[in-house]
Amino acid sequence: MGFESINSAINLVLPEVVLIATTCVMFLAAPFLVAENGAAAPGIRHRWGALALLAISVAGWFWMNSGLVPINDGPFRLDGLSYYIRGTTLVFGAVISLMLWSQVDDSKAAECQALLLAILAGVNFTVAANDLVVLFLGLELVSIPTYVLLALPRRDRESQEATIKYFLLSAFSSAVVLYGFALLYGATGTTHFVGIAQAIGGNHSGEFSKLLPLSVALIVAGLGFRVTAVPFHFYAPDVFQGSPAFAAGMLSLIPKIVGFAALVRVLGISVADTAFDMNLDSLASIVKPLLAMLAVVTMLLGNLMALRQTNIHRLMAYSSVAHAGYMLVGLTIGDRGQIATGVSAMLFYLVAYGVMTLGVFAVLCAISPSDRPIKDLHDLNGISRHHSAAALMLAVFLFSLAGLPPSGGFLGKMNLFLAAWSEGTMLGKYLAYIMAFNAMVSAVYYLRIVAAVYLKPGTGPTTMHMSAPAMVASVFCMVATFAMFVSPQAIWDRARMKDPSAVVVVSPTEVKSSMSEAIDGLPAESPASLEETLPSSSLPQNIPGGISVPGERAGSTPSASVESGPPDSRSESTATTPESSAP
Amino acid sequence: MIGFLIALMSLPLATAVLLMLFRASAGQNTARWMALLGTVVTLCVSVVAVAKYKEQLVGNASQPVQPRIVWRHTWLEFETEMVATDVALPDRVKLEFFLGADGVSLALIALTSLLSVSAVLISWESIKERAAEFYICLLVLQAGLIGVFCAFDLLLFYVFFEFTLIPLFFMVGLWGGAQRHYAAMKFFLYTLVGSLITLIGLAALVLTAIKAGVVTPFSIPDLSAWFADHPMGSRLQTILFLTLSAGFMVKVPLFPFHTWLPLAHVEAPTAGSVMLAGVLLKLGSYGFFRISLPIFRDACEQVGTPLIATLSVIGIVYGSFCALAQRDIKKLVAYSSVAHLGFCMLGLFALNAEGVTGSLLQMINHGLSTGALFLLVGMIYDRYHTRQLDDLGGLAKRLPMISVAMVFTTMASIGLPGLNGFVGEMLSLAGMFKLAPIYAVIGTSGVVLGAWYMLTMVQHGFFGPLKEPHDVHGPVSDMSPREACAFLPLAVMCLWIGVMPQSFIELMRPDIEAVTNLYHPPRILTSGPSLGNATHNSFVESQVQLERE
Repeated sequence: MGFESINSAINLVLPEVVLIATTCVMFLAAPFLVAENGAAAPGIRHRWGALALLAISVAGWFWMNSGLVPINDGPFRLDGLSYYIRGTTLVFGAVISLMLWSQVDDSKAAECQALLLAILAGVNFTVAANDLVVLFLGLELVSIPTYVLLALPRRDRESQEATIKYFLLSAFSSAVVLYGFALLYGATGTTHFVGIAQAIGGNHSGEFSKLLPLSVALIVAGLGFRVTAVPFHFYAPDVFQGSPAFAAGMLSLIPKIVGFAALVRVLGISVADTAFDMNLDSLASIVKPLLAMLAVVTMLLGNLMALRQTNIHRLMAYSSVAHAGYMLVGLTIGDRGQIATGVSAMLFYLVAYGVMTLGVFAVLCAISPSDRPIKDLHDLNGISRHHSAAALMLAVFLFSLAGLPPSGGFLGKMNLFLAAWSEGTMLGKYLAYIMAFNAMVSAVYYLRIVAAVYLKPGTGPTTMHMSAPAMVASVFCMVATFAMFVSPQAIWDRARMKDPSAVVVVSPTEVKSSMSEAIDGLPAESPASLEETLPSSSLPQNIPGGISVPGERAGSTPSASVESGPPDSRSESTATTPESSAP
Repeated sequence: MIGFLIALMSLPLATAVLLMLFRASAGQNTARWMALLGTVVTLCVSVVAVAKYKEQLVGNASQPVQPRIVWRHTWLEFETEMVATDVALPDRVKLEFFLGADGVSLALIALTSLLSVSAVLISWESIKERAAEFYICLLVLQAGLIGVFCAFDLLLFYVFFEFTLIPLFFMVGLWGGAQRHYAAMKFFLYTLVGSLITLIGLAALVLTAIKAGVVTPFSIPDLSAWFADHPMGSRLQTILFLTLSAGFMVKVPLFPFHTWLPLAHVEAPTAGSVMLAGVLLKLGSYGFFRISLPIFRDACEQVGTPLIATLSVIGIVYGSFCALAQRDIKKLVAYSSVAHLGFCMLGLFALNAEGVTGSLLQMINHGLSTGALFLLVGMIYDRYHTRQLDDLGGLAKRLPMISVAMVFTTMASIGLPGLNGFVGEMLSLAGMFKLAPIYAVIGTSGVVLGAWYMLTMVQHGFFGPLKEPHDVHGPVSDMSPREACAFLPLAVMCLWIGVMPQSFIELMRPDIEAVTNLYHPPRILTSGPSLGNATHNSFVESQVQLERE
């Protein structure tokens, strides 16, 4: 790979470059601004926070101007999935940055914000990866800063325990994933996604190397750790309990984004196109039951364990486990589902989940007195009397988590539910039933928190302590929660990930120009409220030459399901590879 | 006309938002005046809307569900995915914000608005703590309830249906009696379980419709029109009917699912009880009328009538006996609701014009009379801080006006001819008698039992030697002008419906007939007694004839 191709590859990941560069600057500059005794100028955290936000917005600007690129043999793959996830990451990154703002000391603010930016870059690399190695590097770029971020803000025993636990188990899971990747490489002889897809999809006989199921199982297990799928969830409650609120909020979301994005990517490639088809000979016949089992166990155990928790962080940990289960339902359904594919329903839910769960932690950040963080459920008793706005927002997020209308959580669950049901098999229907049952169970413990906040006499913190940035974050989350309910179309269209592999190969410049046309031509359909949810993006839905023509789908050719399937599909990629190389 | 609907939904909400903004500075006084203003204006708008609607109402509905006022806006559009094994699906299916109104929904909206005014007035003095929040809950609840009656999209209906739980949860949980936490949780979770089963049924129905090629599978009018012409298989229909109706059954509540009701009623503040009994329970029966009846024709005939009528009859008798055994007046009224809603369901599942008309009238009547009863019980509780019949007696001597009101409302509630209860119960039972006399006969016993427990209550509490709790200090005043303002409109309406039911029936008649025409084609209906045997073919024929005419 010559300098030219590296140079052009960098153009594809400009948002990440911005994030990493800012990280470096902050790491380099910060030590000089801290005095010898370890104290920094009071208020300097505001500057670091502003810098981080600035970096995220610049990255966001690059992201908005980034386009879809046809699948090629370069290191990065910019398709609908990566576009969607990158935007999601940046928006939630800004929210987390606001939460973190007032929770760390001035002397550590720079490092914490910088680590956060590194994590965001890692997420984006993971989802944009077009190669197992890049994918793994992306995963590690998420993990390693996370260890430090957990350890940095506090130095007490609880926090250390949480960090060590997370470190050991995360390292273990990385090893498992790596082992899975190695086996995949062994089975296919390449680490590049296009090559893997060719190697697996090439033989239509349905026979595949015996290494493949094992490698897929290992990858699912390793990534299952990230998304806190039972039985790989056990670290979550302890780690959440020992972490400050912003870190718990980050842990409840960021690893899930990474994990699910990577799962969609890897499963989309290795199981693609025989994709999620219960053909007995196909790999999917092994993967699908595995995922279904994971989903069911994860939902049930998460919700049942959450019922018994009294520590709010532990409760939210189990709640995040349960929500991982719902999203796994979407993954199980895969590209099936008549009115909503499982994967797009899952991606939609990922955003809804992020909004509401980060919202809960943002409220906790906002009202926690700095000396005594709110940890126990009874710390929340009666806070509605002193923090009425915060309590109202908390109630909104909790009702949304429970899946009650009118909230993004309701619509997200509804989409998953419809996807599962419309998949057309008994398995899908059972999954839908189990989801409904779980929604009911989860209502019990969310309602308990609401009851504590509103109905119990107050014992919680009475001082009017408010962290303004965290308040901004929670207000944003609340607006987004409602916006996702009222006007979900924009996010839904993007979650549908119009498959860029279906795009006829054009040179990058042509893509750019045709995209700017598409941007100009787009009707202003998304109202302002939604642009806050997802910075006004204009993913071209119909790049000239795209083949999402309704008429074609009416003809029920087998390839029709491939075209609208997950981001990768072998048949197109093989067609495109010869002509297209990384620009 | 659509402007009215938007105004009706947004007025309470806007008032709530204003209250929320000025909550910190506004005291109890400002809050209650603002709430009163908001609800009164809403009431006026709803009255004007009903009047205008009636003026413009011409002709019959041509579809089973046909809102006369329509406002549709795409909410979320799905592109369907091709699954190789399937038949061709429509390319895109739409979720919509489909708001609309017909006579039935407007009548219920007016009822909601009326009861909201009374609810604000009755809370005037009794809600001292966190008054602003209380009125916010009340107004949000009102907006949600109006939303349910305006929603003609299945999912939107469900959204509002579910949403009403939230403000009521807070009303019961924050301003309720001693056991309020438990009551709020039980009420919320119990009804949530029912609703989730409804959601499953809803999803199944929608997907069935999509497979059948309906482009707007969430729209109730389109669905009912489609399934009127292309009935589903009867087994599928039965399953869908049962799952979809589960939430409604809990909400009504029908006999085995009623256990949440007495507790919630007893613990709720007076305004909460008024809204709960007056409107919230109607969501269940309204759901049956709006969704189950037009869409599941065969299932309603084959499964619905026997099942629901049996449960209703059991509810009537069981509820009446439970009411008879109560010493707490509020609990007594709560159990009487179970019995009264039994009449309502009995009429609805008679599936003929008389029965359904009676049922819908009964919904409104029950809202008025039970609402008024809860108001009066609340007034007594405000004065004595007890509702136990053992502690009270001969109140007519002390509180003559409240006692007169109580006797009047009791009469309305037990169905004295000339008052509203009579018309509704009479028509419901008559409708059922045409279809299956046995249910009507057993149901009629409920009328007698109703008179028994209500009159017993009045006799113990209001006549005989005066008995008051010992710890009441100072003179107890009779009904204040404010309380009279809360009560009198309801009483006037009771009398009005009792004397001139026709004007109310006229408002709803086309919509009722549109539904019952499904079951009994109009040609046969006019020709006389051979009801209930209408086959699908004759239905189609008669439809064709109707169109020719």
